[in-house]
Amino acid sequence: MPKIVIPTALRQYAGNTAAVEVQGATAGEVLASLTSQHPDLKKHLYDANGKLRSFVNVYVNDEDIRSLQNENTPVGESDDISIIPAIAGGAEPLPDLTKDEIARYSRHLIMPEVGMDGQRKLKAASILLIGTGGLGSPLGLYLAAAGIGRLGLVDFDVVDHSNLQRQIVHGTKDVGRPKIQSAKDRLSDINPHIQIDTYETALRADNALDIIKPYDIVIDGTDNFQTRYLANDASVLLGKPNVYGSIFRFDGQASVFYPGGGGPCYRCLYPEPPPPGLVPSCAEGGVLGILPGIIGVIQATEAIKLIIGQGEPLIGRLLLFDALKMKFRELKLRRNPECPLCGENPTIKELIDYDVFCGITPPEPAPKVEVVSDWEVTPAQLKAELDGGKKLTIIDVREPHEWQIGNLENYGSRLIPLGEFSSRVGELNSDDEIVVHCKMGGRSAKAYGVLKEAGFTKIRNLKGGILAWADQVDPNLPKY
Amino acid sequence: MSVKLTTEHIETIKQHGERTFPEECGGLLLGVIENDARIIREVLPLENIRKDSRHNRVEISPLDYAKAEREAAKKDLGVWGYYHSHPNHPAIPSGFDLDHAPFIEWSYLIVSVRDGKAEEVRAWTVREDRSQFEEEEIVL
Repeated sequence: MPKIVIPTALRQYAGNTAAVEVQGATAGEVLASLTSQHPDLKKHLYDANGKLRSFVNVYVNDEDIRSLQNENTPVGESDDISIIPAIAGGAEPLPDLTKDEIARYSRHLIMPEVGMDGQRKLKAASILLIGTGGLGSPLGLYLAAAGIGRLGLVDFDVVDHSNLQRQIVHGTKDVGRPKIQSAKDRLSDINPHIQIDTYETALRADNALDIIKPYDIVIDGTDNFQTRYLANDASVLLGKPNVYGSIFRFDGQASVFYPGGGGPCYRCLYPEPPPPGLVPSCAEGGVLGILPGIIGVIQATEAIKLIIGQGEPLIGRLLLFDALKMKFRELKLRRNPECPLCGENPTIKELIDYDVFCGITPPEPAPKVEVVSDWEVTPAQLKAELDGGKKLTIIDVREPHEWQIGNLENYGSRLIPLGEFSSRVGELNSDDEIVVHCKMGGRSAKAYGVLKEAGFTKIRNLKGGILAWADQVDPNLPKY
Repeated sequence: MSVKLTTEHIETIKQHGERTFPEECGGLLLGVIENDARIIREVLPLENIRKDSRHNRVEISPLDYAKAEREAAKKDLGVWGYYHSHPNHPAIPSGFDLDHAPFIEWSYLIVSVRDGKAEEVRAWTVREDRSQFEEEEIVL
């Protein structure tokens, strides 16, 4: 009977023997005989469609059966039949630069650290930006300008007036547009040579792997813990570097999380998220508009260094920036061998429910419709109108010490205490849309009466006052 | 799984990469499996039989492979991996490497050679579903 020689790597599926005795008079018949004796071999030799895998060569003596009669090649007792893997490899060829691109990138090309090779690597590279907000703006602008061949943008939000203080990829004319559309227009204008992919969705556990997979590098520009852990976990599971940045008020941080590159991941640094509400977001605590510019540009620099393979990446280092002191500090980060994600015995092998992990409860179903008189406005409705850009004059009729505890000054609210209200009606313009409020709605109802008496028509009272606002719109507003 | 080799083995791979720079090179890793590790006993540099694109492509002759199996068998070894060089490119597997990785049971070593000087050597394995490479620990 003929024998087939099995390559070392596959012998464990063939009874741990180097050569298997088979029956048959042709190559096809002996292969069929082999896989019927050792069915585990089948999936290693054949693909899902039952075709011999492209790297499986069958040799009879010194000839590939593909150059003989394929599966009909006759075989006899004295022939040496072997399964031999095709072995090949190689780095991706780098794309060439056009004449226009060479002119555009000349300041890169004349530096030996970048040069033609580096610029071609940038062109071959792909980066996914999660978020096109504060950090995503400078990231997108500079990475597009630098000639990253393919940029992916993930965002589900629309441009709002409150974004423009820092989200410089969007303009005033873009308010109300989806951020990814606005960002794509701006980035394509900066560099028409690059490809921009857009994903108008939130990054979620059920789509993160599919979205991240086709990119070389992930850059997280979001400011919530669910997405931060999700981006970290998905990047580690897919073996991609994750360029991290975060900002709050005057402080920022940046690092590169890349266990594949010998460094820690975000979970090595913070195994558990903080309790919900403990760490305020930028929307709650504010942020210096310039800060994401500084941190985002640091992230962009790190991404470019990773691609061109120059310098010392921020892997295993956390950079801390204090804008008020204008100081950078650096902390060494070590990989945690106990890390549930990238440690020695990982327990996280797939994505989890990040809302549950971060202690976020899903929003409660809308309360049953409450009766709102037409002279009143609910906090939620007022918020929606303000966010939508509606111009409203908000008058707080409480006392100055109450104002200091908390107020709606961010929305342009002005203080006219009820005691002075009648004498100061002249400061108001009856053509403006006016909303009056107090602590709970009683005093402002009186102010409403004063204005009505004075002939104002476009007035409403905030139902439930600033306490209802704190309950329904802004939980960080102190209640008293 | 991890892959165990000696510094001399790493040196052989690096020198092969430097010698053939700016072209790619490749070879086979002969050894045994012990205690859930691929123990490499011999590094076998082979010829790149590609005629074109030799700066970013390498191919090993099937007959060289068959010969390596025969030689290994004489020493009670098996062929448990493959190495190749990436001239002026990081030691990270490419999509081409993934498409052409024959076995999920193998270690794949890549040496990055920059401007003629061998830099890092990294080891990779292919996931069981063949969807991607994962980095493997090199134990010296």
